[in-house]
Amino acid sequence: MNKLWQDVRYGLRQLRKSPGFTLTAVITLALGIGANAAIFTLVQGILLRSLPFSDPNQLYRIGDKDDCCVEGGFVGDNGDFDIYSYDLYLQFKQSAPEFEQLAAMRAGFGGFSVRRGNEIAKELTGEYVSGNYFSTLGIGSYLGRVFSDSDDTPSAAPVVVLSYEGWQNEFASDTSIVGSTISVETHPFTVIGIAPRGFFGDRITGNPPMFWIPLNTEPTISGNGSILHHPDSNFLYAVGRVKPGTPIPALQAKLSATMREWMKTRPVYTENGASAEIPKQHVTVVPAGGGIQNLQQEAGDGLTMLMILSSVVLLIACANIANLLLARATARKAEVSLRMALGSGRSRLVRQIFTESVLLSLIGGLVGLAVAYAGSRVILILAFPGAKHLPVSATPSWQVLGFAFGISLLTGALFGTTPAWISTHAQPAEVLRGSSRSTSDRSSLPQKALVVFQAALSLVLLVGAALMTKSLNKLEHQNFGLHTENRYVAHFDPHGAGYSLDRLPALYHEIQNRFESLPGVTGVGLAMYSPLEGDNWGECIIQQGHPAPRPGEHCGSTWDRVSAGYLDVIGVPKVRGREFTDQDTATSLPVAIVNETFVKRFFPNQDPIGRHFGIDDVKYSGSWEIIGVFKDFKINNPKEEPRPVYLRPMTQYYKPYTESGFISTEDQSMYANSIMLRFNRPQQDADALIRRTLASIDPNLTINDLRSLDAQVADNFDQDRLLARLTTLFGVLALILASVGLYGVTSYLVVRRTSEIGIRMALGSTRGRVVQLVLRSVAWQIGLGLALGIPSTLLAGHYMKSQLYGVSEYDATAMIAGVVVLCCCALIAGFIPARRAASIEPMQALRTE
Amino acid sequence: MIELNKIERSYRTGHTETWVLRHVNLTIKPGEFVTIMGPSGAGKSSLLNVLAMLDDQWKGEFFFDGEPVHRMNRKQRAELARRRTGMVFQSYHLLDDLSVAENIDLPLSYKDIPRAERQALVADTLDKFQIVGKKDLFPSQLSGGQQQLVGIARAVIHKPSLLLADEPTGNLHSGQAREIMELFKKLNEEGTTIIQVTHSEENAKFGSRIIELRDGWLYSDTAGIAQPVGVQS
Repeated sequence: MNKLWQDVRYGLRQLRKSPGFTLTAVITLALGIGANAAIFTLVQGILLRSLPFSDPNQLYRIGDKDDCCVEGGFVGDNGDFDIYSYDLYLQFKQSAPEFEQLAAMRAGFGGFSVRRGNEIAKELTGEYVSGNYFSTLGIGSYLGRVFSDSDDTPSAAPVVVLSYEGWQNEFASDTSIVGSTISVETHPFTVIGIAPRGFFGDRITGNPPMFWIPLNTEPTISGNGSILHHPDSNFLYAVGRVKPGTPIPALQAKLSATMREWMKTRPVYTENGASAEIPKQHVTVVPAGGGIQNLQQEAGDGLTMLMILSSVVLLIACANIANLLLARATARKAEVSLRMALGSGRSRLVRQIFTESVLLSLIGGLVGLAVAYAGSRVILILAFPGAKHLPVSATPSWQVLGFAFGISLLTGALFGTTPAWISTHAQPAEVLRGSSRSTSDRSSLPQKALVVFQAALSLVLLVGAALMTKSLNKLEHQNFGLHTENRYVAHFDPHGAGYSLDRLPALYHEIQNRFESLPGVTGVGLAMYSPLEGDNWGECIIQQGHPAPRPGEHCGSTWDRVSAGYLDVIGVPKVRGREFTDQDTATSLPVAIVNETFVKRFFPNQDPIGRHFGIDDVKYSGSWEIIGVFKDFKINNPKEEPRPVYLRPMTQYYKPYTESGFISTEDQSMYANSIMLRFNRPQQDADALIRRTLASIDPNLTINDLRSLDAQVADNFDQDRLLARLTTLFGVLALILASVGLYGVTSYLVVRRTSEIGIRMALGSTRGRVVQLVLRSVAWQIGLGLALGIPSTLLAGHYMKSQLYGVSEYDATAMIAGVVVLCCCALIAGFIPARRAASIEPMQALRTE
Repeated sequence: MIELNKIERSYRTGHTETWVLRHVNLTIKPGEFVTIMGPSGAGKSSLLNVLAMLDDQWKGEFFFDGEPVHRMNRKQRAELARRRTGMVFQSYHLLDDLSVAENIDLPLSYKDIPRAERQALVADTLDKFQIVGKKDLFPSQLSGGQQQLVGIARAVIHKPSLLLADEPTGNLHSGQAREIMELFKKLNEEGTTIIQVTHSEENAKFGSRIIELRDGWLYSDTAGIAQPVGVQS
């Protein structure tokens, strides 16, 4: 113990003696370990974490994908269902006693207008859940109580459970809220309890629910637009607690059979030959200890890629450390030999050098943790810029701490042992006599090999960064088909403010008039949802005179409901026919306008103007007449090719529907959620102006979200931006580390070759030739690095393909950019020591011999 | 051929200035074989470095064949040295990674001489020094005497008019030393001016003139001292 302490003290003294070496090594390690620990914190917080459920291993979800939010008919092409109607959920619950409990929760969270007393209404995220939701997950209450089955019945009094965060942030931690009444979408709900701290719901999301309400309150809140009792509206996820010992494959088969039997009772799954599809319909039962894995599925690929890239940075850092330690070991040969000559044992010396390496690594690991903490905070802010209460902690966990120190110790042990061995295996007499000094640089081969390795890996990261940046650039600067400048989108909720269908036309008219009269406003449009805000309504199109689409036939089209002049406001040009006008009223001919892709898909080689189409059922195939065609624009996913889109006027309610599901959808679609404003120039005070104007129309109308259309479009690329930025950061880190490595090795070689350079200069070599001599060695290392790096980069590009948009994984520009940047940095890193070499005084150099 | 007037050289260590050459006046005529002697620290190697134009931190006047070296910049001095001088070192200073032939070729590679011509010159030199059989060997495969032979061959391949040698036999046994000195004598007889630094009285006898330095001062010169010793300011 005493010896160990002595070694530690001596090691610290040695590190203090060479501050340059120590600082470089610590920074290198800190960057490598910090980058990895930061990414690992995220991976652990998002991908690997179990949510705070009791006995999470018993929890299983019926379904494995992230479909959202309301679907009708078959889901996907392979029959893998993951989203269910309330009726089907009840079937599962009834037929599978293998579940101790089976809970249901709405797939998509909603924004609800919530008000306490006479306070101003707030837009809060809420989630519909079954009465057994909390008991299934094994979650109790912090205050009051959570739901029981009796709270989730049609006749039960409406109740609400607040999340701890919601209670703290939205209700100022007021304990008297429990037992009081709050208004949700103008309906009174009694707060019965507060969920425990740290429980953010059944999934990780940037905007977790602030409260939960029973599923059976959905008809009260949604009114005619309710979907709870529509057996064909799939909108629920199902998570259950399985009895111990239940074989999951058998349960999965049983649930699939139950679903198929149920489908046979529903016309939507049997009519028009659809029943032929039923045999392949199935469910997949997956563990749900980590909750619903939507975010994990969405971010998993990106995080995995970042994990790989940060590992590459760590490898480069380790190569640097190895290089530094090797150089130091060579430089210390004389000291070690002297110690051996004075009687020190080899094992004692190895232990001493080894202790120094481990000390260095541990210091690096410690600083790396600080980098990790700061890094993961920054990454979380970048990854979830709009997140209000993100349930992912940036604080490194014990596992991350273990990971960082494990890596540190491994680096120290691995790269400390070899130099220690090298140092102690020199012949002391030879070293002390100086005969081991040589003008040969063969002994530096391992160091050069490490630089080659670093250069190759750096190229992979640099080209990766160039690819991601180019991809982001293509995404952001693509032709969206609409104009975004000087446009603002205000999201509001007339339903939450208590507006019934019959009051909507007057409200829309008032909004249109009041906003149009504002100074600088050159256009106002209303829409059920605005372009690229993340919402999408889809229906199956049936052209008049055509039979019902066969199962599996691609009949889907996105649709939106918009006001007259809307396309003009968002800058989408008309191609044929006309846009909606004020003459398209509730009593006039039901009309629609469609995009070019819609025409190509449903009316190829035909004049679409005057043609009719409808949705879902042949009997409605003549519902709307096409009066115009507009150019394609990106309405939902900016990464996809434009989909077929049809637009209907805000003024026209389609009355012929008799099915409650269709009526409910039609009702919901009448509620605009977006006011789109076009100004004649950029606005400084748009926010205040728009809020003031809407409040002057009706103070109950609150703005949930207000931003420029530019910002709304940019939000679509948050993840891509994060990936591009982090990849670039890792690329730059790699480049810096590799350059430092190259600089270090070249400097070291220059020192080792001082006498050779002196001899050459004494024999007539010019300083230019000395620079050339040194740079030739640099060029060799980088050349070999490129020879290894280019094929590796091509391979890496292949694996990055899914993350790229509009850029080939073998993009030549990115490759050339990576090669040029690497070569320039290598040239600089090599030129500095080369110049130093050229300034060596031959006389001095010869004296060092 | 060489004229030195009041050459001075000092090194600064911290606040102390150590003088290694003091007011050295020296004239060397073409074809002379001069031996510089003196105890350790007398300034022998420093004087040789000045003459080899490896050092440019000195003061005074230095004329080489009438050309004022003291007025030349570093590049011009290096160019003059490359053309006119050859250098032999005590520890040979062969490059370990290069073969005998490549080591000999080294000074030529720094001149704009076509490759074929260089090869011919190297072949001639190998032949002249009778080391053709060793041309592909590396320095580590040669004895000390053989290494020094290569060192001398390398120093004279470009036919310098002045050959400078710093303790050329310091690492050799007496037999090898004699052979090397015989070779110097032969080169001198062929017209090369030679200046050697040595501690060996034996070696000095091969030369035509002996200069002795003490504490940086020119203490004695068998050809007579150009200026009185001990002029101190």
